[in-house]
Amino acid sequence: MRDPDVLVIGGGPAGMSAALEAARSGLAVELVEQRESLGGAIYRQPVEGVPAIPQSAGARGRWEALSRAFSTAAIPVRFGSVFLGVDGHGYVLVEDRQKGLVECLSPRAVVLATGAVEHVHPRPGWQFAGVSTAGGLQVMMKETGTAPRGSVLLAGSGPLLIAVAAQMARLGNPPLAIVESGDPYRRIMPGLGMLGFPKLLAEALGYLRDIHLHRIPWLRGSRLFRIERQGDAFSAVVRTGDGNQSTFVCDRIGLHDGIRPNDYGLPPASSEAMADPVIVRAGDCREALGAIAAEADGRRAGRLVIKGVAASTAGDMEQIDRQRRAQALLSKLFAPLDDRSPLDELADDTLLCRCEGKTVSDLRNLCQRADSLTGREVKHNGRFAMGACQGRFCAANTAALMARFKPEAPAPAAADLTGRRWPVRPVSIGALVRAASQDNDTQ
Amino acid sequence: MQTRTPSTVIVVGSGIVGAGTAYFLAKRGVAVQLLDAAAPAAEATGAADGAVSVASKRPGPMMQAALAGVALYRELAQAGLFADIFKTRSTFIIASSNEECTVLTSHADALAGAGVRVERLGAAMLRERFPALSSNAMMAVEVHDEGHAIGYQIVHRLLTASGTLVSRRTPVEGLVTAPDGRRIVAIATPQGNIHADAVVIAAGNGSGKLLGLEQILTPRKGQLLITERAPALNAAMAGSIMSGRYLLSKGSQPAGNGKPARGLGLVIDPLSTGQFLIGGTREDHGDRRTNDIDAVSHILADAVALVPELAGVRLLRSFAGVRTAVADSLPLIGRVPGLENAYVATGFEGDGICLGPITGKVMSELVCGESPCIDIAPFDPARFPRLGVAA
Repeated sequence: MRDPDVLVIGGGPAGMSAALEAARSGLAVELVEQRESLGGAIYRQPVEGVPAIPQSAGARGRWEALSRAFSTAAIPVRFGSVFLGVDGHGYVLVEDRQKGLVECLSPRAVVLATGAVEHVHPRPGWQFAGVSTAGGLQVMMKETGTAPRGSVLLAGSGPLLIAVAAQMARLGNPPLAIVESGDPYRRIMPGLGMLGFPKLLAEALGYLRDIHLHRIPWLRGSRLFRIERQGDAFSAVVRTGDGNQSTFVCDRIGLHDGIRPNDYGLPPASSEAMADPVIVRAGDCREALGAIAAEADGRRAGRLVIKGVAASTAGDMEQIDRQRRAQALLSKLFAPLDDRSPLDELADDTLLCRCEGKTVSDLRNLCQRADSLTGREVKHNGRFAMGACQGRFCAANTAALMARFKPEAPAPAAADLTGRRWPVRPVSIGALVRAASQDNDTQ
Repeated sequence: MQTRTPSTVIVVGSGIVGAGTAYFLAKRGVAVQLLDAAAPAAEATGAADGAVSVASKRPGPMMQAALAGVALYRELAQAGLFADIFKTRSTFIIASSNEECTVLTSHADALAGAGVRVERLGAAMLRERFPALSSNAMMAVEVHDEGHAIGYQIVHRLLTASGTLVSRRTPVEGLVTAPDGRRIVAIATPQGNIHADAVVIAAGNGSGKLLGLEQILTPRKGQLLITERAPALNAAMAGSIMSGRYLLSKGSQPAGNGKPARGLGLVIDPLSTGQFLIGGTREDHGDRRTNDIDAVSHILADAVALVPELAGVRLLRSFAGVRTAVADSLPLIGRVPGLENAYVATGFEGDGICLGPITGKVMSELVCGESPCIDIAPFDPARFPRLGVAA
């Protein structure tokens, strides 16, 4: 089998539309997807035998059109395969987890479309099993067609929380409450701005109607600031807008404080067209703007790898700009009422790094000195971002907290902690050794 | 040579040698200004295998220096400074072929002759002592009283313990000499000239431009790997493993011969975290800091051949660093020829972690006009006649 001209990493809307666009020009395109089905997190498909949960008409229509076009184009997909990175000689490394070996591919171009990850602020107790991201609960509902069991509390900020609450209610298990640090009802101007996005507004109103019908408390201007174990359950301590504290006893907690690009350890995009291979980013891993922008950005990336230049159509750029304006409005709409950073009031024993068990006070002790450590020094000497999650859990929060501790020093980025070396995911040594023996066979 | 202690010293480079120098000078009450073009342990020190070891040394000045280096680690560990960051363990050199057995046998004799405590283990004994090893291992030599330290942890500890502040992102652009050309009066940085009584250059490959050493120093790349935690397998390893082939490859490539070369050695070190450090390469490339699948998969194939259970462990990280090699394979330690108050310490290639603290001690002695505690005559920079301050 010859190597593809274009290798697309990630089978969500950005990756699928990039692959489609590149394949239209006659290039040999392959797509790498770590799961067994396409769709990404946003269009996650149910497991076999389970009916899909109801989606908004817009989302359903977009997925049907995209998946139909993708099957028609007959683009080969490497399912169950994980992108490990691009090595020093330009080989694109992909671990085939079914075969248990690492393949070294030499495409002319790579489109990275690895999507977004949820951002979650640290809170005492956030590391307990049973506390997950709200988006994680949503993906689970898409896969299994059922709501998470037991009493569930949702907390954090943003429109995703009300979407998850409404979907849980429709599946028969509404959450105990939604703890929301912002208050869209008190943000008049961005609220009016949403009138310019009628589909988004209609979707949001649909969710709010379900929340109202099921009498789910939407505690705006409130923060979940501590989680404690109470037998098999959790007690979640919430500070409401009026300054009072209340406690919820629940079985599960879904946290969500926004999304950010899933760019951990990814190689940088090529700065020149002659790079070998050319590396392009597409969709949420470039700029987290959601599914509509991701699809348009995938088309842009597809054309970019064909022509080697930024040949974007006005239509796609307009769509991306419009989604950027929508996201900016939403973040104003859901801006926390309390403008103190949640990072400034963390208890010393709040866990920052789950893999290595490092806390806020470990980081503070490291940073308390007359000179200022770089992100790399904090990684090395504090062991932040050094564990098996390779910084996915802690790097962004650690970098943000370093900037709070040392406002006068250059602000570190999450990438200063994680670095940009392959493997971007832990990989079986046995699979890497088999890459070596394959190589010997062909020599 | 000076006969009095200077009151201010600039140290250029905050790798392990610069940090060690700053530590020992600060202990004497000297005001040290430590500069780095990037940050502490940003180069070779931060990408080292961490061996504090004489196991691969042949009798000679490097073995003597390494013995003193290991002894200082022990001393500083006992004193508490390195107590939690210096792991004592044996090094097992493993022979897997008849050729390696021959080389290893004579190597063990040489080590023993130099007073190193070694023990020969035949196949049966080896299997008992080291159950994780493959049956490919034919014999081993256990070198006792060795250890492992992580370079960036040592640097951080030295700086923190001595209260030394590092001027990060401060590249040195040149050395300013007095009109008679015999003294450094200042060093030039983008932030302006900095004055001091004496200057120590410990800037690794960056020393080349400052001292006109470009023909003498060669950047030599090394790739290394870190696995996830595998506590059971880690506990089943009585010490670090060095492939006997390492003895064949080490020092077999003179630096600066113009040919790109890549030596693959094999070291597997069980770390105190339960992880494994696996290395490594010696490559005469320029400044490339990347890892390539060719090197990584071959190192790991060698590792699995010796410790089969590693195949079931996951690789967590790869990294690469560029060491500084000297044309004659000996470091440069001493006064810069022709200058009264400038000193250099660089070119340790793969021995920087072992020799860093002892070199720091030696530099503090030199700067203060005392005789060094180890014989550094073989490392005298004056052996290269053209070495001096760059015009």
